[in-house]
Amino acid sequence: MSDNEGMMHAGDDDLSLPRATVQKIIQEMLPDGMVCAKDTVTLIIDCCVEFIHLISSQANDICEKESRKTIAPEHILAALKELGFDAYVEEVESVLKEHKVQQKEREKKSNKLNKSEFTEEELLRQQEALFAASRARFAASGGQPGAP
Amino acid sequence: MAVKSKSRQTRFPVARIKKIMQKDDEVGKVAQATPVLISKALEIFMQKLVDEAAREAKSKGSRKVTAYHLKRTVEGIDMFDFLKDLVVAVPDPGDKVAKKEEVLGPDGEPKKRRGRGKGKAKKKQESEEEDEEEEEEADHDDMDEDYE
Repeated sequence: MSDNEGMMHAGDDDLSLPRATVQKIIQEMLPDGMVCAKDTVTLIIDCCVEFIHLISSQANDICEKESRKTIAPEHILAALKELGFDAYVEEVESVLKEHKVQQKEREKKSNKLNKSEFTEEELLRQQEALFAASRARFAASGGQPGAP
Repeated sequence: MAVKSKSRQTRFPVARIKKIMQKDDEVGKVAQATPVLISKALEIFMQKLVDEAAREAKSKGSRKVTAYHLKRTVEGIDMFDFLKDLVVAVPDPGDKVAKKEEVLGPDGEPKKRRGRGKGKAKKKQESEEEDEEEEEEADHDDMDEDYE
């Protein structure tokens, strides 16, 4: 997962959700004509962070009970059920399915690169041919670097 | 009350969610899909929170959702019990200081509020009085960078 490079990290204690993003989301969620006060955005951000901790903590407990070390999707789903968020399970499950499909697509792409139809020898030969052609062009242009 | 959900364009930053999860010392490794699932659950949760707070605001005749509306929402719905501590500090409207009274400056003329007042610590009580103000507080321009 990408880190926020180029951002000044004030230290993990201020860890929260980005204000502008949350504000946009709130605005998208509000009915037309309604707005949210600034301090209320802050409060909502705090609520979101609290929600994340709530689910994570519960999922972690479930994970530990199974003597597993990595919090897996099923732990999240179980946590949601245990905490009274059953209604969320269906939608979250479909996100999980989507994610798995995307993972497969990603794997397929990277496999395609790894398993090129040419053998390594063939590839080396192709590379050498390309170099030779390049050298020929270089010599023909009078050996001047940067010549067209 | 059926609230129309606009199409949600903006997403939560998944990497940030992972960091927030792992801020809890108990939480160890986390499967790659996990923060993605939490992001979805968070979206559903936030929609519910915003819907209910907006409903509260509307019932009070306000177009602007304030911290107090959020507080009422949290106190009124079991699902939001875990948020009670976060809203307990929100003052009730009766505690408001100087709703629309004119504050006189040193020259005896009414002091106009210049701009938005960027100081965060500035007059917390004022936050409640923003109800009747113009849209200026609804700052939907991106003053902050989007992290994604």
